[in-house]
Amino acid sequence: MTFAFRDFRSVGWSAAAAVLVAGTMFGTAPAQAQAKDVIKFGAPLPLTGALSPEALKAKQGFEIWMEMVNKAGGIKVGDRKMKVEIAFVDYQSNTPKAVQAAEGLITQEKVDFLFSPHGSGAAKAASNVSEKYKVPTVAATASSTQVFDQKPRYLFGTYTPNETLLAPLFPIAKRDLPSLKKVAIYTRNDLFPLALSQAVERTAKKNGLDIVFNEKYAITALDHSSALSQLKAAAPDWIFVFGYTNDNLMIRKQMIDQRLEAPLITMLTGPSYPEFVEAAGVAGSENITGASWWDAAVRYTSEDVFGSTEGYIKAFKDKFGIVPDYGHASYTVAAVALQLAIEKAGTTDREKVRDALASLDAKTFFGPIKFNEIGQANSYDPPIFQLRDGKTVVLYPEATKQGDLRLGVK
Amino acid sequence: MIFVQILVNGLVLGSLYACIAAGFSLVWGVLNVINLMHGSFIVLGAYLALGLYLSIGLAPWWSLAVAAVLFFGIGYLIQRFLINRVIAAPVLLSLTLTFGLDLIIQNAMLYFFKADYRSLKLDPALGSLAFGSVVVPVDRLIAMIFALLLTLALYIVLRKSRVGRAIVAVRVDQGAARLLGVNIPSIYAIAFGIGTAMAASAGTLLALTFPIAPVASYAFLGKAFVVCVLGGLGSVPGAVLGGLLLGLVETFGAYALGPEFAVMLSFGLLILFLVVRPQGILGRWGFE
Repeated sequence: MTFAFRDFRSVGWSAAAAVLVAGTMFGTAPAQAQAKDVIKFGAPLPLTGALSPEALKAKQGFEIWMEMVNKAGGIKVGDRKMKVEIAFVDYQSNTPKAVQAAEGLITQEKVDFLFSPHGSGAAKAASNVSEKYKVPTVAATASSTQVFDQKPRYLFGTYTPNETLLAPLFPIAKRDLPSLKKVAIYTRNDLFPLALSQAVERTAKKNGLDIVFNEKYAITALDHSSALSQLKAAAPDWIFVFGYTNDNLMIRKQMIDQRLEAPLITMLTGPSYPEFVEAAGVAGSENITGASWWDAAVRYTSEDVFGSTEGYIKAFKDKFGIVPDYGHASYTVAAVALQLAIEKAGTTDREKVRDALASLDAKTFFGPIKFNEIGQANSYDPPIFQLRDGKTVVLYPEATKQGDLRLGVK
Repeated sequence: MIFVQILVNGLVLGSLYACIAAGFSLVWGVLNVINLMHGSFIVLGAYLALGLYLSIGLAPWWSLAVAAVLFFGIGYLIQRFLINRVIAAPVLLSLTLTFGLDLIIQNAMLYFFKADYRSLKLDPALGSLAFGSVVVPVDRLIAMIFALLLTLALYIVLRKSRVGRAIVAVRVDQGAARLLGVNIPSIYAIAFGIGTAMAASAGTLLALTFPIAPVASYAFLGKAFVVCVLGGLGSVPGAVLGGLLLGLVETFGAYALGPEFAVMLSFGLLILFLVVRPQGILGRWGFE
């Protein structure tokens, strides 16, 4: 009886051991196979907090790419296809947390590749993490050259420098308005608007124009009547307003209230978003010029999963029911650039993908993407557009031009 | 001429500020409750005006009446059933309560209205009046007139009506008021209701001038704070004076020092008043 029990017990132990061994073998085998079939990307995004509207667009931009790629079987790596997966982490619109999130994605989520957090400042802060772990990283919305000035090895940005946004509008404006002389600049005291304002200041001076008004307003400002009265008294030919949608709307409304008119009014970034036209109205937005890195009006044929700009817009509309704006497209193209680099490298080896990014020269729905020696895209002309009848009309570049500049903003 | 234009800008803006602050001042002065929901009530009023205009074409100055009645009820109930429970506790507790309630309102607004910016565009647009080179936007002028009328109405209610005198009595000496048969919780609820109604009414007027979004509420709350400290707590003429002073300081400050300093100036003035004259221009300690 005792013997039998002992025997039984030893059988029990061996059975348990067998199950354990088998479990380890069969349990991990599919997991390993799965890991090899999937490429994992990490995206730290400000899903809550002040930047959450932008993050929502970013997420949609990533999701449409992920869906299209997986529907096509995945990313072609050498002679097989690998599905994609994106790990999203919320950093609560807080830059130090964005850096932690990026590090966590690499060390804990074990992502293969990374996307930068939103905007120039956060992208620069998190780029140290990419350098430390040698992870190829694509920044979707880093436009300031300062992000790249230390020549990061693993960071690539799909936005062209701030200067490229408005500089091409100057020769057009000078041609169509020969009397152009006086320029006014009104800027939100904030990182990106200030960078735009400095870029325009330099370009205006280079073009021999006088800056008759150049003021900043506080982030929390509600009333601009005093500044606009002063601006009106300076009688500028061309007014630049740099800020975000809310301030752009408020300032536009108060300009109309004060009967402030000028041959040219350029606003950033409000007019790039459909929300601006919706809130300002067709009359309030008529003839306002703006620029962004992408617009749904541009047309490119591409070697990416969308096939063309139209293809991208259609896929996006089918999934989300809206026309994508540059906030969506910027994130999609960041993912597209990484995908094309992986396909070019034919491997998921980080070092080889990094080299493929550095030498990338690809046609995308966003425009041709190629990076300069510091890793910032310099291969396409961001579209300059004018709002007419509530729609955007592309003025530049020539290849996608839809109309000529119209003067007079009332 | 630009001097006159800026003076006009400042006076118009100041009247809007007065209207924003009057209800806040009343609640703070009478109940000793710092109502952090005030900004959100303003934004809700603006959404109400937008909704009524888009659905039945009601102009914002008529929505004002709807907002006043509706939000008086809401304010009355909030005070009666929530804030009254902590009214006797130190001020920090009611502050925390209104903060928490405000978080709920904020997130509800984000959920229902989204973070998008909306604006109320009258069709046809009201345009602006020009006197020589001085321009006054008609919508701001209308908002200013209604704002002043509204604050005047509040002043008259507090001065002449039985309820108004009871509110003032409670503010001056709660114990004596109770002895004379004033129902304190009821008066508190009425005062809070009036404050809420004032906020929402101001919101319907501001819908004409500023973009409407849930996130706008803190900017309005900040202005209300400054105006109250400048003008004196619980005093309607104080709110008007404080509002006008703030409007003028901001516009002339922006003119003289640059627009980036306008906000800094208003808060600088707040600190100066807190140090030199903490009771405000018209405030007297504990008396209206």
